[in-house]
This record gives sequence, structure tokens and C-alpha cells, in this order.
Amino acid sequence: MSAQHRTAAPRTSGSLARSRPRYGELAVKVVLLLAALVSVLTTVGIVVALLEPTIEFFSEVGLGEFFGSTTWGPLFNPPAFGVWPIIVATLEITLIAIVVAVPLGLASAIYLSEYATPRVRKVLKPVLEVLAGVPTVVFGFFALTFVTPLLQDVFPFLGLDGKNALSAGLLVGVMIIPIVASLSEDSMAAVPNGLREGSYALGASKMITSVRVVVPAAFSGIVAAIILAVSRAAGETMIVAIAGGFKSVFTLNPANEMATMAAFIAQAGSGDASVGSTAYKTIFAVGSLLFVMTFAMNYLSARMVQKYREVYD
Amino acid sequence: MSDVRNPLPTGTAVPRNPMPTSGTAEIGVSVPNVSVRGPEVPRTIEALDPVFTVSGLSVFYGDYEAVRGVDMTIGNREITAMIGPSGCGKSTVLRCFNRMNDLIPGARAAGKILYHDEDLYGDHVDPIEVRRRIGMVFQKPNPFPKSIYDNIAYGPKVNGVKGKMDDIVEEALTKAALWDEVKDKIKQNALSLSGGQQQRLCIARAIAVKPDVILMDEPCSALDPIATTKIEDLMQELTRDYTIVIVTHNMQQAARVSDRTAFFTAEVDADGVRHGRLVEFDETSRIFTNPSDKRTEDYITGRFG
Repeated sequence: MSAQHRTAAPRTSGSLARSRPRYGELAVKVVLLLAALVSVLTTVGIVVALLEPTIEFFSEVGLGEFFGSTTWGPLFNPPAFGVWPIIVATLEITLIAIVVAVPLGLASAIYLSEYATPRVRKVLKPVLEVLAGVPTVVFGFFALTFVTPLLQDVFPFLGLDGKNALSAGLLVGVMIIPIVASLSEDSMAAVPNGLREGSYALGASKMITSVRVVVPAAFSGIVAAIILAVSRAAGETMIVAIAGGFKSVFTLNPANEMATMAAFIAQAGSGDASVGSTAYKTIFAVGSLLFVMTFAMNYLSARMVQKYREVYD
Repeated sequence: MSDVRNPLPTGTAVPRNPMPTSGTAEIGVSVPNVSVRGPEVPRTIEALDPVFTVSGLSVFYGDYEAVRGVDMTIGNREITAMIGPSGCGKSTVLRCFNRMNDLIPGARAAGKILYHDEDLYGDHVDPIEVRRRIGMVFQKPNPFPKSIYDNIAYGPKVNGVKGKMDDIVEEALTKAALWDEVKDKIKQNALSLSGGQQQRLCIARAIAVKPDVILMDEPCSALDPIATTKIEDLMQELTRDYTIVIVTHNMQQAARVSDRTAFFTAEVDADGVRHGRLVEFDETSRIFTNPSDKRTEDYITGRFG
């Protein structure tokens, strides 16, 4: 083929128009577009699927009761639809997870990117990423059967329930450490070496260079990592269902059993609510609310990144 | 001391070795009107008041000996230029002077560098303290992605310098001949500046920690001729207070700005391994008019490299 090309006489005349149609190009373009559309269409599909039952739910229950009362029990008799207990539980467990994952994740990222020798990094980073592949049900049982008893022994004054928000939050935090660490490390490794050298040349130590030059320069990537991790934490289901429990109590005390929004959806969706009932439609209302909360969080964070990021190119 | 060897007025930025500017061909060995030093000035190969005394310096990257057996001195408040073809080890040697090579895994220096009378690679020496005294300006301008003000304030802050930061920033920018251009936008991001301004900002940043020596690693190679002229003028100004070592690929630049020039080249030894070697080290006027080594002559006349 290529030999033929080389020996062919140079074309000296003729049109510059396309000599033969290139169907492959068009086919590739269509396939790539479809691939990109799958996730967009899925998102649209989720919104549409959530919307209809959600609207039906609010025509039966009303926004006033949903947001205006603090007792949650759609599966009880009589049912109660005050959503605050599960919102509080979701936010509280997410907060505990962030408190665990952001410092540990960032510290791991700084270590991997700035301190570790290439050999150590080559071993540690995959190990860290394996943690992200551990099924969350494993984390859940670990929290329930190991962490909770341990905390009950070591800190008896906390008065931990057998299922509690603290253990669940801690393990959700551990679950999202690899997301924070790995993505932050990627964006810190992308900071040009010239910036580090500039800092060292001024007599800055490694620690100061990491914290005051590398981290700010990688800020947008780090925030993106944290956003993704927080979204994962807020929507995490298995760990909170197993270790956090299903009982909804309106409380801030993380020693108590508390059901998050995701845990409620899992419980009601796994057959505790009959299709078409108000309790069933509650699943969609809570799902919509979780969707809106995550979306708002992402939007705010994106705005924050725009404002504070340090562009180095 | 420097007055003896530089009998030029220091009030303005006067080129140390005014050269004909009509092209490299004129920097030849046979050009008669190049030297500016009067015959009454005695020739000194070694600097009389050395800041650095290098003896038998070899630099290794792992097992590879990148530079072998360098002996030279860097004179106080002089500009020393290091020239030579790519891969001859001049940047490697420069980066030994502030222990920047320590940051490269596997890099190691053998031989001796005395900074004043202290062994720069002695066991007691803290590389961070070394870098505070010996600043560096890099090939590509590398301002931090922060405001102009924060770029200058960074060094003094991390070194715990007391004093009014506004004054320190203004003084450093004034010394780097950048103050008038940036004083109205001091809080703007440093990356909004032009390349030449960024490089002067990096010089100002180095000055702000009040170093003893400023190392410059091809500071003009990413800049246009006008910005280059500004940096060269600035170097002439700075040499009143600082010792400067500059690596450059531009021979005219070395001839224009420096007091002494070190010519490096790469040699292949019996085992077929390339090493950087210092070929000749002498007063700049001597190197460019009457070099004692044939390789220097070939390089500066453009027959090699």
C-alpha cells in the first residue's frame, strides 16, 4: 500500500476535491458522540423519572409538612413526612467524613507528590487506590463489627448505640480518602517544577513549599477532588445503612442511630413500601432532594474554584 | 577591590566590555579593538577576593559523571559568565553553588566548593540556609501564581524577616527596575506581566531576601532583545551590591556583561562517556581576544558549537 504510494507518479493535475468518500470518519464521529451522550441522557432520564412521582408526592403531602416538621416515618402508621431528621443525618455523616478524609487525603497527597521517592510512590499510590475499590458493604460491616465495639470500649462515655452516625461517618471518610488523595496528588504533580525550584531558591523548606506554593497552585484540582469525594459521601448508602441504621431520630448527637436520605431510599426501595403508595413516592421526593443538594454543592464549589484558583500557565 | 579591576564609572550601567555589535564574526580572536582594560591593570586569572573557590569539583547523576574536575573562583561583586555548548555542564556547576542539585534524586557533588571560607558541602551546612544567601534566577521566568506583591513578600516571609513588608516589596522592585511599571497594579497576578517583566520580578524576588550572590541560569533565553537589554542593564546595576554568576548561551552577552568568563565543553573520554569539562577560565576580555586554548578560540569564533 505505502510502497504503491511512493512509486506512484506525482499528481500534477486534477481537482483538489475529496477523491473518495471517508465513511469511517463519519462513523467514528457518530460513535464518539453517542458515547458522550449516554451519561447526559442518563442524567436527563433520572431527572424525568424523579420528577413525576415527586410532583405526585407533593400533591399528596405538601411542602409544608415535608419541610415544616421534624418527625420522619413514612413507613409508620400513621406516617410522618418531616424530612429534617434524614437531612441532618446526611449532612452530619458527610461532615464527619469530610473531617476525616480532607486532612488525611491532603496529607497523603502532599506526601506522595512532594516527599515520597519515586520508588515509594510507585508502590503506595496503587495501594491507596485499591482502598477505593473495596466494596462499601465491607466498610459497613467493618464499622458495625469492629469500629463501633472498639469505640464503645475505648470511649464508653460517648454512649454509642450499636448502630451510630459516628462509626458510619468515620468509615465513609476512610472510603473517600483515596478519591481526595489520588486526585489531589494528580493535580499537585501537574504543578510545574519551576515553581518549586523558585520557592526552594528563596530558602523555603519542603514543607513551606508544599503548603504555600504547590497546594495553592493545585487548588482547583484539590477542590474538584474534595467536591467529588463529598458527593460520594453524601450519596453513600451501604455503609450508612449497615452501620448507621434506619431509625430516624431528630438529633445532632452522632452517638445515636440515624438514617440518612440514602439509607431511607435503600430501606423503602427494597420492598418496605408498596408500589404506588405515598410511602413509595416518598423515595422519589427524597431522591430529588438529594439530587438538588448535590447539584447545589457542586455549583457552589465550582464558583469558589473560579474565584480562588491560581492559574500558572 | 572591584574598583581596581573595573576602572569604569559605576554610576550608570556602562557595559564592562563594549563590543562591536555587528555580529558574531567580529568577536573573533583577531579583532583588535575589543579590550577595554587598560594595560596598567594586571591580569589575574583567579579572583582576588573570592566568594566561591571551586577545586576538583565533579558532579554525578547516579553513576554518571556529568562534570569532571572543575577549578575556578568567583570574585566578590563581579559578574562571572559560564559559556559553552549545550550539555557541557555549566548549569550543573551553577546549581552546585546553591545546592539546588540536592533536589535531584541521585545527584552528588565531589571535590570542594568553599563559600568564603566555609565548605559548602560540609556536613554541618543546611542547604536551606545556603539558598537564603545565594539566590537564583531561572531560565524560564517562574513567578508564583500569586499577586506581584505576594511574589516579592514570599521570600522575606518564609525567612522570618522582620520589618515593614510594604517597604521591603517597594525596595526590591525598585532595585529590579520594575517598581515604576507595576506600582499601580501591585495586587494583580504576576502572570499578567510580560515575560521580561516576569523575569525582572523573579530578580526582585531573589533580591528581597537580601542574598549575597545571585545565580542566573540563562535568564534571557526566553526573552526578546529589548527585555534582554533591560536585564543586562539591571545586572550591571546589581553588581555594585551582589556577586553574580550567569550561565548564558549568548556569547555577546557574556562579553558585554561579565568580568570573568569560564568556557566549558563536553569531552568524550577513553570509555566513550561524555563529561563536562572547564576548558578555560580567565578575564572576559582575555577569553574573547586572546584565549589560550584552541577550543575556546574555535567556540567563540563560531567554528564549533
